Amino acid sequence: MVVAAEEKELKRLETQVENGGGGAWDYLCLVRKLKARCSHNVLKFGLPILKDPNSRSKLGSDEWTLYEQVAIAAMDCQQLEVAKDCLKSLCKKFPESTRVARLECMLLEAKGSWAEAENAYARLLEDNPLDQAIHKRKAAIAKAQGNISSAIECLNKYLEIFMADHDAWRELAEIYVSLQMYKQAAFCYEELILSQPTVPLYHLAYAEVLYTLGGLENLQMAKKYYASTIDLTGGKNTRALFGICLCSVAIGQLTKGRNKDEKEASELPSLAATALMKEYKERAPDKLPLLTSTVKSMKLFS
Amino acid sequence: MAEDLVLDGAIRDWVLIPLSVVMVLIGVLRYFVSKLMRSSQLPDAKILKEGQVIIRARNLRAAANFIPAKSFRARRAYYSNEENGLLHVPKGQTQNAQAQMFSDPNMAMDMMKKNLSMIIPQTLTFAWVNFFFSGFVAAKIPFPLTQRFRSMLQNGIDLSTVDVSYVSSRSWYFLNLFGLRGLFSLILGEENATDDTARMMQMGGFGFDPTKSLSAEKDSLDIVQHEWALPKFEQRAEAVLKKFVS
Repeated sequence: MVVAAEEKELKRLETQVENGGGGAWDYLCLVRKLKARCSHNVLKFGLPILKDPNSRSKLGSDEWTLYEQVAIAAMDCQQLEVAKDCLKSLCKKFPESTRVARLECMLLEAKGSWAEAENAYARLLEDNPLDQAIHKRKAAIAKAQGNISSAIECLNKYLEIFMADHDAWRELAEIYVSLQMYKQAAFCYEELILSQPTVPLYHLAYAEVLYTLGGLENLQMAKKYYASTIDLTGGKNTRALFGICLCSVAIGQLTKGRNKDEKEASELPSLAATALMKEYKERAPDKLPLLTSTVKSMKLFS
Repeated sequence: MAEDLVLDGAIRDWVLIPLSVVMVLIGVLRYFVSKLMRSSQLPDAKILKEGQVIIRARNLRAAANFIPAKSFRARRAYYSNEENGLLHVPKGQTQNAQAQMFSDPNMAMDMMKKNLSMIIPQTLTFAWVNFFFSGFVAAKIPFPLTQRFRSMLQNGIDLSTVDVSYVSSRSWYFLNLFGLRGLFSLILGEENATDDTARMMQMGGFGFDPTKSLSAEKDSLDIVQHEWALPKFEQRAEAVLKKFVS
């Protein structure tokens, strides 16, 4: 996950490299560390380094890491010839490596020859049936082919063994949301909250799933998780602010006529609305009237 | 106190320097031999899974208050029910796992290889030093030391009259044996240094029994009191927003 400060640094390095200020290698290292997907930039900055034997040899053994990085970026950009060249050099250096074999399979994937890629992965799995990356690639193939149910199956099988891998849980959660299987998605988000309780994005996503599920109990829970998101982000998350407003409106509608005093107990929704107005005034003044009318229609200010 | 001993230059050329060079060369050789013998063993699916279960259960225990009570109870039942909970270890299987671990020939083989690559060169060089160089005074360090250092620096010479700043050949061997790690990490790269102490630590971890930590985790999960933390967050969010708005 990219934290704001790191993203700033990434942007800074990017502009620096683009303006000819050097530091391409630092940029590439940071991309690798953050696992950011900036394939175009990686290709643009990495390839010149690889083409220049002088600067390439300066990297020492990191040269091969760069080859791998550029190869994957090239596949992402559909520059298959570049990827092929990178793979050729890697193959020459590490003829029997599984890691390189995996890259070759990924090249097959990039070409779109799914069946071949799948066969190749199956062969690799025979040697090492517990290779995490290959299991993930298999799920990715299924997803890329649009075969969502088999992707879910792959991920579930993977998670049965590697159940502490939160990235896989996250992927599964997003797939479930896309299929509108909200109960399952909620389970996955709970798992994510458990593994990283201080990441506000998971709280937010869980709240959204709960809100979508509906029902009084779920709405109340959703409101609480929106509140925790606000707490964790310091009130800067617009989605969470909107979420609080919507939740309290929905709860108000469900409990209309019943115990009124409970609804009045909290001034959170009106605070959230005020915070929203403030945010909009600062960042998007032209949308403010729109927001004002929306908030008014919610009748949050009593 | 005896007057200053004069050390023959030939001792430097034929004992001190060869000894150091040989120690370095043996260290490098040992590194390459152990690299050759290293077998990449595939992790066992069951052990791997147990490790992951423990991590996940630990997460559950640590962050239990962040999920609703219903979800927590469902998960606890999933982990620790008596029939097929993930953390539940059937009785009688505990010893089996240990026995199986010891009888696993690959594991024993691996241990032996590691030990052999460590012990054999050490005994050989020690014997070699003992045979050819015993009893030499090989060097003199340029500063005086207290008597306590005698056993460290003058191993093999049983004379109490010799000044402590003289180093015997066998002690020089020991100094090299333990003092060359920094040099190795320069020559062979940071992680590749033949680090004996780290290897010892690894051996200590061998008797580790995953089933024990499974049941320990189960016990601690069973006594967790679930108290949903989220209601508190509403007040906290209110406070945050008040600050934000004002």
